[in-house]
Amino acid sequence: MSAAVSALIDRRRGLLALSKREADRVLKLWSQTIVAPVLASFLFIVVFGLSLGGRIRAIDGVDYEVFIVPGLIAMAMAQAAYSNNASSVFQARSDKYINDVLSAPMRPWEVNLGLAFGGVVRALAIGGALLVLALVATDVPVRHPLVLALALAFLLVLFASLGVVVGVYAQTWDQHGFVNNIVILPLSFLGGVFYSVDLLPSPWHEISHVNPIFFLINAIRYGFLGTSDVPVEIALGVTATLAAACVAWSASMFRSGRRLKA
Amino acid sequence: MPNALSIRGLTKRYDDTRADRRRLSRRREPAPGTGGFLAVQDFDLEIGAGSFFGLLGPNGAGKTTIISAVCNLIRATAGEIDIFGESHDALEARRIVGLAEQDVNLDRFLDVEETLLYHGGYFGMSRAEARRRAGEMMDVFDLRAKAGVRAPKLSGGMRRRLLLARALMHEPRLVILDEPTAGVDFELRLELWRYIRRLHDQGTTILLTTHYLEEADELCEEIALIRGGHLIARDTADGLRSLYHADSLADAYVRAMGSLQ
Repeated sequence: MSAAVSALIDRRRGLLALSKREADRVLKLWSQTIVAPVLASFLFIVVFGLSLGGRIRAIDGVDYEVFIVPGLIAMAMAQAAYSNNASSVFQARSDKYINDVLSAPMRPWEVNLGLAFGGVVRALAIGGALLVLALVATDVPVRHPLVLALALAFLLVLFASLGVVVGVYAQTWDQHGFVNNIVILPLSFLGGVFYSVDLLPSPWHEISHVNPIFFLINAIRYGFLGTSDVPVEIALGVTATLAAACVAWSASMFRSGRRLKA
Repeated sequence: MPNALSIRGLTKRYDDTRADRRRLSRRREPAPGTGGFLAVQDFDLEIGAGSFFGLLGPNGAGKTTIISAVCNLIRATAGEIDIFGESHDALEARRIVGLAEQDVNLDRFLDVEETLLYHGGYFGMSRAEARRRAGEMMDVFDLRAKAGVRAPKLSGGMRRRLLLARALMHEPRLVILDEPTAGVDFELRLELWRYIRRLHDQGTTILLTTHYLEEADELCEEIALIRGGHLIARDTADGLRSLYHADSLADAYVRAMGSLQ
């Protein structure tokens, strides 16, 4: 290992330890954190795609069981990144063991990044497993890998940061469940996971464009299938803007200590 | 050598607004009818390096607020805190403070050994260094047999030991113990006293809060009595007894607290 890398590791031991702790939490609870969401999403592919897909005509020239795969992967990854961080941070605050981290010699951005890492690990594990299963079951292509990588990076940043923010704000377990069940899940379903928004009549077609998750799903669908309901630059741009806003929100909370410290 | 801890003009008003903090930083009170609960006001305290210092006061006196401000767990409304001459929020200052909180705040996902190893990591220890020290701490606190047991499955006494072992893991120069023997049986209390005393003999500065007056009498070289966020008196146990014309520290404490009612 070069001297520069060793020096970097020495300077960032706190960040590395916190990131490892968050990743360990995901891996220790693997049956809940990884297997359960992978099974749930794969069942969507089996039930809606393979069972009913034969009765639904192709969308944008793509078989229905293939069309729904990108949206389902995006939805599963978004929920995983969000709910992992929201529950991990809330639990740490609730049991007060976050104090061990807040009193440690770490910079605010290191604490923020370390706490967000678990959601990224969990989302990548779920996304990877679903991709392998989808490749076996549906032959879904990856037409634009760079666009897909960029869109997934924005997704991870957006929902991992949002999870940390909600974990810091939440006063009860119900509150972080509320954001998942009442905001993320409905917006994902209405953002075109199971259909092309172009098929919707007015005004639902136009209303769908107010849904931020619509842009995320389309960016990821373009990466997989090469088709999108909006130009991919716009889809990526909206997703990147939302990710930047969530990161700024989360960073400002850790910098000021607002909500984290009385 | 600079003081181990130096607190000047510490004020903490909970639910304070940014405007309150600005006013207080200019030594001005918040506008009437504004601001939250005032836990500590204009509090000064100097603790010399190597001393064993006790902070006594009833519930709600502001002890935990002062400790939390020192350890960067709350945002002080006003005031300055230095640890061995460094501002308390500097990374160097944080690295040399160890805190065992009143609440048993152990990470429920980690076992005993992991709790110590991760804490070492947060405080900048290398993996090898953390392993060596974690082994040492498990031996000292008789936790070796429970190395692989997660915190929620430990008995109350074991959790207390682990809390103390975690606070000492990174070999801090200033150790803050917030009611470390609360809810602990007599034997373990004596054992913890022995360890804390040995730590102090090795040159570590100790700030102890406790409701057990005999504990303060037994261990502390100097004691501060606080109430309502204010320092009432500061002296040795003998000095406090003489100041309040009392036979015991308990009597001195009761008189000191009663004198303000």
